[in-house]
Amino acid sequence: MTRPLRKILIANRGEIACRIIWTCKEMGIKTVAVHSTADRDSLHVLFADEHICIGPPPSAQSYLNIPAIISAAEIYNVDAIHPGYGFLAESAYFAEICEACNIKFIGPRSNVIQMMGDKVQARRAMQEAGVPILPGSENPLETEEEALKLAREIGFPVIVKAAAGGGGRGMRIVRSEEELGPALETASNEAAAAFKNGDVYIERYIERPRHIEIQVLADEHGECVHLGERECTIQRRHQKLLEEAPSPVLSPALRERMGAAAVAACKKIGYSSAGTFEFLLDEDESFYFMEMNTRIQVEHPVTEMVTLADIVRNQIRIAEGTPLAYTQDDVVIRGHSIECRINAEDPETFTPSPGTITAFNLPGGPGVRVDTAAYPGYKVPPYYDSMIAKVIVHAGTRELAIARMKRALEAMVVEGIKTTIPLHLKIMDDPNFRAGEFSTKFMEDFLKKNGTKKPVEIAASSR
Amino acid sequence: MNDQEGAAQTAREEQQQPSQQTPRPQPEQQQQRAGGPRGERERGGRRRGGGGGGQQQNQPRRPESHLPMEELRDLFALFTAHGLTEFEIEREGMRVHLGRNPAPQVVAAQPQAMNAPVMYEVPPQAHEQQGSAASAAKAAQPATPAPAEEESLHVIISPIVGTFYRSPSPTAEPFVRLGSHVGPDSVVCIIEAMKLMNEIQAETSGEIAKIYVENGQPVEYGQPLFGVKK
Repeated sequence: MTRPLRKILIANRGEIACRIIWTCKEMGIKTVAVHSTADRDSLHVLFADEHICIGPPPSAQSYLNIPAIISAAEIYNVDAIHPGYGFLAESAYFAEICEACNIKFIGPRSNVIQMMGDKVQARRAMQEAGVPILPGSENPLETEEEALKLAREIGFPVIVKAAAGGGGRGMRIVRSEEELGPALETASNEAAAAFKNGDVYIERYIERPRHIEIQVLADEHGECVHLGERECTIQRRHQKLLEEAPSPVLSPALRERMGAAAVAACKKIGYSSAGTFEFLLDEDESFYFMEMNTRIQVEHPVTEMVTLADIVRNQIRIAEGTPLAYTQDDVVIRGHSIECRINAEDPETFTPSPGTITAFNLPGGPGVRVDTAAYPGYKVPPYYDSMIAKVIVHAGTRELAIARMKRALEAMVVEGIKTTIPLHLKIMDDPNFRAGEFSTKFMEDFLKKNGTKKPVEIAASSR
Repeated sequence: MNDQEGAAQTAREEQQQPSQQTPRPQPEQQQQRAGGPRGERERGGRRRGGGGGGQQQNQPRRPESHLPMEELRDLFALFTAHGLTEFEIEREGMRVHLGRNPAPQVVAAQPQAMNAPVMYEVPPQAHEQQGSAASAAKAAQPATPAPAEEESLHVIISPIVGTFYRSPSPTAEPFVRLGSHVGPDSVVCIIEAMKLMNEIQAETSGEIAKIYVENGQPVEYGQPLFGVKK
C-alpha cells in the first residue's frame, strides 16, 4: 500500500537540507525549508519551493523547536518530514508526534528509534539478534563491587561509558583495578551533567581499533539489504574528519559477515528506512557492535559513489511504502571513494572561524562531488556546527582516489575564513594513511608528528 | 486544502508587491553617505539652519560656508528619489545631515555637536537580515511593512509559527482595529498553532496604525503583524 509523498518539509539546515532538496527535485516532490532568522539567506531556503522562519538563531528555539516545525508542516500541508541528521533526526519523541499528526516521518518508527537510542537496550537487542557485542555489563552498573567483578571477567583494559550519551562524554578508560572506582565516579558525574542521566556501563576496551560502519536500507515490508561498509577510523575527539568506502582492510568474506550481521539485526528489531551499524574492528578481524544510527549520516556520499545508490531517494521510496528496489546480489561496490569534511576552523588549533566567505571556488572534473550550502558572500553563522562543505571523490582504486582528493582540495579556494583544507592535504600525504594502516589513534599520532600547538587529549582515568 | 495553500500564497504575493515596487532601505544602506569614504570629508566651520519649510534662524554666516540653494534642492531630490532615510555630506566647512523622521529636515551640525542623532525605529526583522545576493534572488519573503515614507512605528511581530486570526472566534469582533488603543497586556490577535489558540499581547502602548496580515493568513516567526504608533 503506497502513499506517494508530494511535499516534504526538511527539518534541518545547511548542506544536508540542500542534499535532500536535490533528490526531491529529481523526484518531482515539492520541498518546504524551515529556517532560523540567522539562516534567512541560506542556500536551502533559496532552493526550496517554500520556506518559513521558525525561530531565532539558537537551535533550541528553531531547529529543535518541535511545535514550530509541526505548525509549519501543517500550514504548508506537507505529507512528510525529512529530519536529516543531528537535530531531531533521532528524537523518538519527534517521530511520535509526527505519527500522531499524520505526517510521515522519513525514518524508522518511533519505538525503534527509542530502543536503539538507549545504549543498554540496543546492546541487549543486538545480543538477541546474534550480533557480536563487546563483552561488558548488561545493565547500568549499580555498585563498584559489581563493576570490579565484571571488569575482572572482561579483562582489562575496560572503558566506562554513559548509557545515555556519546561523543566522548561520560567515558573513561581504565587500565587497572585501582583506577576503576574514581573512573566510575567521574564518568557518572560527567554523564549526569551532559545527558541528565548518570547511568554508566563498562565494556572491553580495544587498544587499536578501527571504526567500520555498515549502511543498511530496510523497507516497511521486512526486507533489508546492506550497501557495504564505510571506514571512519580517522577521528579527532570522536568527531570524524574523513571517511572512505570500501575499507582498505576488509576482505570480501569479512564484509559479508559484517553485512549479514547488520541485516539480521534490522530484521530482528523491525527496522525500516536507512540506518548505519557502527562496529569496532579489532586487529584479529573480530568485530563488535558499538551503536546504531537510525538516520542518514553525514558520510553517506561515499557509499553512494561506490554503489550508485541514492540513499535519500531510497528513504523517500521506503517512506512511501514501496518495496526495496534491490536484492543483496544487486549491490555491487565499484572503485573507491573518500570524503573530507571541510570545517570553518583553524587547521592547526581547530578553533572555530566563523565569518564571511569572500572567495569560493569548488573543484570539479572527473569523479568529484562537493556537498555544500556555502557560496561567495555567505556568512558562516556562529550558532551551528562548523562544517561548511564535504568534498567527495570517486576513482578506480584507493591510490587514484587519494590523488584525486589531493588535486580537488588544491583547487578548492575558500577565503575570508579559515578552513581545515590544509589539514586534509597533509593527511593525504601521510604515509600511514596512504598505506591504509591506521587505528583510531591515528589523529593523535598525526598531530604529534605534525607539531601542532595543542596535542590531542583523549580522556583517560589517570586524570 | 489546496485552496488554503493558494490563498496563503496569494496573500503573501500581495503583501510582497508594495515592497517590491518601492525599494525599502536595508540596514546597511540606511546610513548613506554621499561623497565617498569618510576620509574625504573636511571639517571646518559649521552653520546651523532651519527645517525644510520651517523657520529660518538668523545666524551669523561665514562667507566660506555658504551652501547654495540649488545644491540643497538637488540633495533633496536625490534623497527622496532614492527613498533614503539618512544622508550626510560634509565639505568646505559645511556639514549637511538629512534625516527622515517624520518628514525630511535639513539640519546642519553645530561645532559643539549638539545635533541630536536622527532616531527612528526599524522593524525588528531588518536587523536580522543578512543582506546578501541570495536574498535578492529569492523574493518570497513574507509580508514586510510599507517603505520609508511611513511614520516610524513599533512593529508587533509574531513570536510563533501559525495561523493569524483577528478575532477570538469567527463571529466575534476583532480584538483591535485601526485606531484602537492598546496597552502592554492588550490581546491584539490569536495565532493558532497545532490546534492551540495563542493570544498575542501587544507588549507596548499606543494606537494601531497598521495591520500587516490578513485574517486566516499563515505567519512565520518574526513576521510583522501590527504597526503601533506610540
